[in-house]
Amino acid sequence: MLYDLNVPWSMDQYHPHQQRTISFLSELGYDTLALNHTITGSLPAAIINPIPAVPSFEIPKKTVLLRRCTLNIVDPSQNYRLPALAAVYDILALRPTTEKAFLAACLSLDSHSIISLDLTQRFSFHFKPKPLMTAINRGIMIEICYSQSMDTSGDGSSARRNFIGNVVAIVRATKGRGLVVSSGAQSVLGVRAPADVLNLLDVWGLKKERGLESLGVNPRGVVVNEGLRRTSFRGVVDVVEGG
Amino acid sequence: MVRLKNRYLLVNILYPELEDRKGKTKVPDIVEFNQPTTDAFTAGALLKGLKAEIADVFGDYGSGAISESLNVKYLSPATSTFILRVSRAYYKLAWAALSLMTSVPVKDGKNCVFRVVRVSGTIRKAEEEAIRRARELILKAR
Repeated sequence: MLYDLNVPWSMDQYHPHQQRTISFLSELGYDTLALNHTITGSLPAAIINPIPAVPSFEIPKKTVLLRRCTLNIVDPSQNYRLPALAAVYDILALRPTTEKAFLAACLSLDSHSIISLDLTQRFSFHFKPKPLMTAINRGIMIEICYSQSMDTSGDGSSARRNFIGNVVAIVRATKGRGLVVSSGAQSVLGVRAPADVLNLLDVWGLKKERGLESLGVNPRGVVVNEGLRRTSFRGVVDVVEGG
Repeated sequence: MVRLKNRYLLVNILYPELEDRKGKTKVPDIVEFNQPTTDAFTAGALLKGLKAEIADVFGDYGSGAISESLNVKYLSPATSTFILRVSRAYYKLAWAALSLMTSVPVKDGKNCVFRVVRVSGTIRKAEEEAIRRARELILKAR
């Protein structure tokens, strides 16, 4: 079972493109996909999930679609109504843009399960093992979107250099554990087959075994945990229909 | 000890991009992904494009490392498949460069995705895999 937990979704997206992306991902072997809605800035008063629960176009039979939200946080002391947001989406991810927000996301904030950073930027802080491992031990995974490395538009491809530098730093700080790899592909051309992704990660320092984990076991953990959080009482008691 | 060991990469070229079919009959997605490639795509063009990409991503180190051993063993524009030979020590570099390429390395080349489907120590197994896949594709596309 291979997962791609970051397939960007936006309100004004052209449906055939989205359908094509899902079809290509399914063809390459990814079974469970999460459509990702990114929210920057302030949240609207009424939090609703704009991603339709049932897709308006046809999707391959074995594909499971989930709905995810990535929220940019700048200042952790501001109230982002995370629990309300988490209740509406299947998976909640945070994208901290400052060091304070990053530390808060790793150590104190609770409702999310993925920390997704924009790795094409140079960060003012170093990735230290302590906060990252604390986050991973709490069950929060760090996400790497491999399609950002293919972004060579303009500015002398410093995006790619920053991306590789950040990936190397994160792999070093986490020793390869607790990572989730996803495409984050803005267009269908950014998607790569699992073997290709594993090889790229190998070149950047993440051994094949850990790479496989980050494509299969870790995302599965995220999906299952998020499901449990929403349906049962702390994974112990659940209400089941029938019988 | 003196034997040069190589890896043979069997690579498919996939075309996932949506294109306007201008009212022609709807083809299943899998057939569109595995379209044939333009005839301008020759072994020379592939080598040139790949070496340029390796130089771009890995610099002089990468270019020097694979220069002796990089070779195109089989190329079929019709099935969009090729077999590349690289030395065993550096095949991951060449593979990574292939993954990072985004379009066919000819003039006005279409946007595409290069997918490595098999890595083998002998060319025979790579060829057998190519035949097996072609057969499978015909069945899938029915």
